[in-house]
Amino acid sequence: MATGAPPTRPRGAVRTDRRAERTLGALAAGVLVLVGLMVATVVISAWPSFSANGLSWFAPGGDVVAQFRAMHAGTPLPGHSLLYFRAWPLIWGTLLVTALAVAIALVISTLAAIFLAEFAPQPVRHLLEPVVRLLAGVPSVVYGLIGILALGPFVNNHLISEARRQSVAYVVQLDGADLATATVILAVMITPIMVALIAGALTSVPASWREGSVALGVNRWRTIVRVSLRTARPAIVAATVLATARALGEAIMLAMVSGGRPFAANPLDGITFLFEPVQPLGATIVQEFGGETTGPIASTIYAIAAVLLVSAALLSFAGWAAKQPLKRYGIGV
Amino acid sequence: MRAHRTLILSVILALILAVPAAALAAKRLNIGGSTSVLPLAQKLATAYHQAFPKIPAPRVGGGQSDIGISGAASGQFDIGDSSRDPIPGVDPKGLFFTKIARDGVCVITNTSNPISNLSQESVEGIFTGKIRDWSQVPGAKVAGAIDLFDRDGASGTQDAFQHIFLGEAQKISTGATAETSNGLEQLHVEKDPQAVGFVSFAYTSGVNPVGYQGVACNLNNAKSGQYGGVRNFWMVTKGAPKGEALKFINWVTSGNKITKKIITSSWIAIH
Repeated sequence: MATGAPPTRPRGAVRTDRRAERTLGALAAGVLVLVGLMVATVVISAWPSFSANGLSWFAPGGDVVAQFRAMHAGTPLPGHSLLYFRAWPLIWGTLLVTALAVAIALVISTLAAIFLAEFAPQPVRHLLEPVVRLLAGVPSVVYGLIGILALGPFVNNHLISEARRQSVAYVVQLDGADLATATVILAVMITPIMVALIAGALTSVPASWREGSVALGVNRWRTIVRVSLRTARPAIVAATVLATARALGEAIMLAMVSGGRPFAANPLDGITFLFEPVQPLGATIVQEFGGETTGPIASTIYAIAAVLLVSAALLSFAGWAAKQPLKRYGIGV
Repeated sequence: MRAHRTLILSVILALILAVPAAALAAKRLNIGGSTSVLPLAQKLATAYHQAFPKIPAPRVGGGQSDIGISGAASGQFDIGDSSRDPIPGVDPKGLFFTKIARDGVCVITNTSNPISNLSQESVEGIFTGKIRDWSQVPGAKVAGAIDLFDRDGASGTQDAFQHIFLGEAQKISTGATAETSNGLEQLHVEKDPQAVGFVSFAYTSGVNPVGYQGVACNLNNAKSGQYGGVRNFWMVTKGAPKGEALKFINWVTSGNKITKKIITSSWIAIH
């Protein structure tokens, strides 16, 4: 009888534990199922568009606006099916905006992170760190508003000369909703995340390594470049990948700032190239989604979403892979 | 036992959060769609609630005419707003369109380019992209390239502009920048001295409304029938309206003093 009492508590506790475990497990599995269903829905809905166009879906060919209009009116373009779609101008726009913005952001954020981690006096750091975090959390519509209310009109009224406008007037209209504006705002949007990640990695470089370098008579800047930055290199790659993912998926801000004209900006146009419009993939979804849940437009939009989903998955994997070497040094990011 | 309690608590919390939302959604009308109809629908909804304080004010949102139509079909909206006429074969089947008012579409330019009138020929030339410079437009007060603003395909205003101003044979230039709402179109024209676009009557503040075929684009000319750029506003329901939706639409189309006053303030009353 003495042994009768004690086991009841533990058995109850074990049961509760197991129940909690199962509940949490079910929730986690639910998330997986949800993601699976989402991917399945997108791919199934996108299939008509991909199968009608084949690999040419990704190729250049014709005017995207005309293609969407044909789908909208229900009258196919002469010689093509109703689902005829060539996404190259959108893909090109996405690549351009993303690559340029990430390149700008990478330079700025690396330098800013070095300042934050190595040079900034304590009070300045205490002020800057929350500001950077705040900037990273600003919703993209706010950046979009700044774009259409301030930067776009400024570029249109002060940076684009009438001669430049005339030079391409019969090809494309330059009105301030363009590659340059979109790139600058996107760069501003992704810089804070990169600064936070890179500065974090720089501060977690073991002090002894830097001290060793300084003790050998290496000056501060060389120590930063040769020791700190080199150690943090995987974090810089990871930050770049994360920022690329955010830039790639950005839709609302880009639709506001540069949406409306799916034009393949041409680098051969020199400076004018920067003032030509682009409409990235995400912005196209915002722009063209008119409430259709079936039919050719919906299928095309789902196809765009599928491309974005796959790219995001690849980037997320790349980000994980890039972080692996850091673990070797025992530095977590 | 603690995990158990947390579980029960979270279920209760979820129920508390979910139940009023469901209860409210059942009573409160959900209206959305055309951004042209939006200002009118908002005013009507507010006045409806003032007239019948026991009925909660309908929730009114924007979108596009096509979003209003497909939203009414899918049940997302109790009433969808559309500023374009029904298109048989393209719209989902089984929808019921109730005409509530008429509205004008104005061509607009920047206030630094106060053109008073555009001929049919100029409108066609500008919007199809044949004319690309303001120096080719009689009456223009600025020089240089024309910045053309269009609306995207889901817009009822674009549909109306296309039918009324251009006809079926000519299409708006694909080089134009397509905006997703009347408000954005107005904003871009307001900020760009060389811009030209088209919006619903209610969105002409801060920009220059341009006359069409010799008639100024204003409410009086539209009411008298002289101004040609006039189209219909619709409220769309899945099947004939019933319940709360029927009550609201009946009130809107009853031609009572309140609705008449609201509609005639910026639109053309038909009831």
